[in-house]
Amino acid sequence: MTETNIIEMTGVEKRFGTFTAVSDLSLSLREGEFFSLLGPSGCGKTTALRMIAGFQEPTDGRVTIDGQDMQGIAANKRPTNMVFQSYAIFPHLDVGDNVAYGLRNRGLKKAEIENRVSEALEMVELGGLQRRRANELSGGQRQRVALARALVMRPKVLLLDEPLSALDKKLREQMQFEMRRLQRNLGITFVMVTHDQYEAMTMSDRIGVMFDGKLVQVDSPETLYAKPCNREVASFIGEMNFLPAQVSARQENSLTVTTTCFENLKIETNPNVRQGYGDILVGIRPEQIEIAAKQPDGYDATFRGDVVNVAFYGENVHYHVRVEGLDRPVSASVPNYFHMVDFREGDSVWLGVQSASVIDLGENEPS
Amino acid sequence: MNLRSEGAKGVALSAPATVYVGFLVAAPLLILVAYSMWTQTYVDIDRTPTLANYREAFTDPLVRHLMIRSILIAAAVTVVTVALAYPIAYFIAIRAQKKTLWLLLITIPFWSSYLLRVFAWKLILGFNGVLNSALLALGLIDEPLTFLLYNEFAVVLTLAHAWAPFAILPIFVSIQKIDPSLLEAATDLGSSRIESFLRVTLPLTLPGIIAACLVIFIPTVGDYVTPSLVGGSDGKMIANLIQVQFGAANNWPLGATLSLLAMLSVGFVAIVFVLSANGFGRRIR
Ligand SMILES: Nc1ncnc2c1ncn2[C@@H]1O[C@H](COP(=O)(O)OP(=O)(O)O)[C@@H](O)[C@H]1O
Ligand SMILES: [Mg+2]
Repeated sequence: MTETNIIEMTGVEKRFGTFTAVSDLSLSLREGEFFSLLGPSGCGKTTALRMIAGFQEPTDGRVTIDGQDMQGIAANKRPTNMVFQSYAIFPHLDVGDNVAYGLRNRGLKKAEIENRVSEALEMVELGGLQRRRANELSGGQRQRVALARALVMRPKVLLLDEPLSALDKKLREQMQFEMRRLQRNLGITFVMVTHDQYEAMTMSDRIGVMFDGKLVQVDSPETLYAKPCNREVASFIGEMNFLPAQVSARQENSLTVTTTCFENLKIETNPNVRQGYGDILVGIRPEQIEIAAKQPDGYDATFRGDVVNVAFYGENVHYHVRVEGLDRPVSASVPNYFHMVDFREGDSVWLGVQSASVIDLGENEPS
Repeated sequence: MNLRSEGAKGVALSAPATVYVGFLVAAPLLILVAYSMWTQTYVDIDRTPTLANYREAFTDPLVRHLMIRSILIAAAVTVVTVALAYPIAYFIAIRAQKKTLWLLLITIPFWSSYLLRVFAWKLILGFNGVLNSALLALGLIDEPLTFLLYNEFAVVLTLAHAWAPFAILPIFVSIQKIDPSLLEAATDLGSSRIESFLRVTLPLTLPGIIAACLVIFIPTVGDYVTPSLVGGSDGKMIANLIQVQFGAANNWPLGATLSLLAMLSVGFVAIVFVLSANGFGRRIR
């Protein structure tokens, strides 16, 4: 992957009246990457995307695409194309004419338009459906038409606003995979907006997490999951057990911490959090916690608890375990090995964690 | 009534509509057809079936002249009204903040009777009318303009004003229904505002335009109040001739024949119009 930045956003802000939808957004997107803007609904993702597309002018700040300042450049003149959340398929045109719409604006020859349209339709596996009318398409097919209609323009950047949110779960998972493959093959930069953390994680090279109009962390899915920059990110992406911890020693790359569950455990410092001097918050992912009837061997820390709730998910089982001295039960998730649920409500169990699974989440600010 | 079978139930349920349509549409039409094949004999009616009335209608140049003029005037009214209504409807649907208020304002002409409105136009356009007095007072003209009233122009103007709301409403509804993201998609794919309008808005509002055209064209061809009040001798239309047959000329069979022919012509023009407008719409890509 080349390291040129296809999109540069610097200090971008968007206000609607007195309401700030996006504030001080700075972001560099690399050429050819699959980037996702992830955040809860209403956090300003669509607004950010629309400022790249040119449907909204930033109140402040600058957007540069491929080195060119986009200030004052209308949406129809930008080297981007968009897949709309509603797909926005033209109802008066058939599939072929929908896909050809943008090419006709460019005044290409009829034969070339036809070639490129059928090529684009092949690409999204809609080959031969040129003469289908928009109202004869299923949700998944409409999504593919929208994708083909944008990709046929060979944009420098493809913008996707919650492209899969209208599809059912099975189809969504299939499309995630296909879109990822398509993006890889074409090498076009994709910028996708989504509120679905799994979608963002499975598809993206990098994810930008937004809350309340602010971009709080930009990282690869693995880093976001392993080293979230604060409690909000940690709980938005995946599940997390939070424990307040006292720091008894600080070394260069590690901290020695004590919580209700374990004493003097040496953990790695998290480079993504602000380091302070007081007590910190640590997090442990449920799947990193071992649950056993007897005290398990080979763990850096073990502690006792009582099962208060069992949730069977099929591929794994979630146990909620009450631990003396904690307000909330600890959540532990174990894979469903032999179709057995090993513990029941009321069982007394041992929990075990490795110090590498304990994540430093920085200063424990009251939330 | 004892509703035993589904069939009986169906008949019973559709009875009110059947009776209504039968009495108010089919029966009068049949009477009209019957009359058109009879003959007026001074004070009485000769009921031997004949096509003589049709022969007369087809050979009389006055009938053909008035029929063509009526259709042309109605077409002019339709074009003028729809062309003026479209931007208004567009403004209300897209730009206006208080849509309901605007729609209410548009219906204001209906708050007074049509006759009053026609007379109002006479007062405005007449020899000593508002327009002429104003232009004279401003010194823009030396003597009153006479081409304002009692001609086709006056008829078209008066009818266009009268029918404006009927054109604005269906077009407004069709513009209102367009998903704004379709226009954004058009822009995203490189269309300028004008191109988006021609390639997306226009074809999607075509049903509204066609509806507006039919709603105006069909009743306008048969209008007789307006031409008789502001049309003068140049502005007379086919309905005026029909009215004469049922009145002063006392030739109901010929009147019935002319009415039927007027209906057929209007139907024919309307069908050709709808087909070609739809064909045009399908060719926009
Ligand atoms: N055109 C607009 N006028 C006023 N407020 C808007 C407009 N567009 C978006 N907003 C507000 O900005 C916030 C962010 O919206 P949006 O970017 O659509 O969020 P997201 O896509 O993350 O759900 C929301 O609170 C929304 O109500
Ligand atoms: Mg959104």
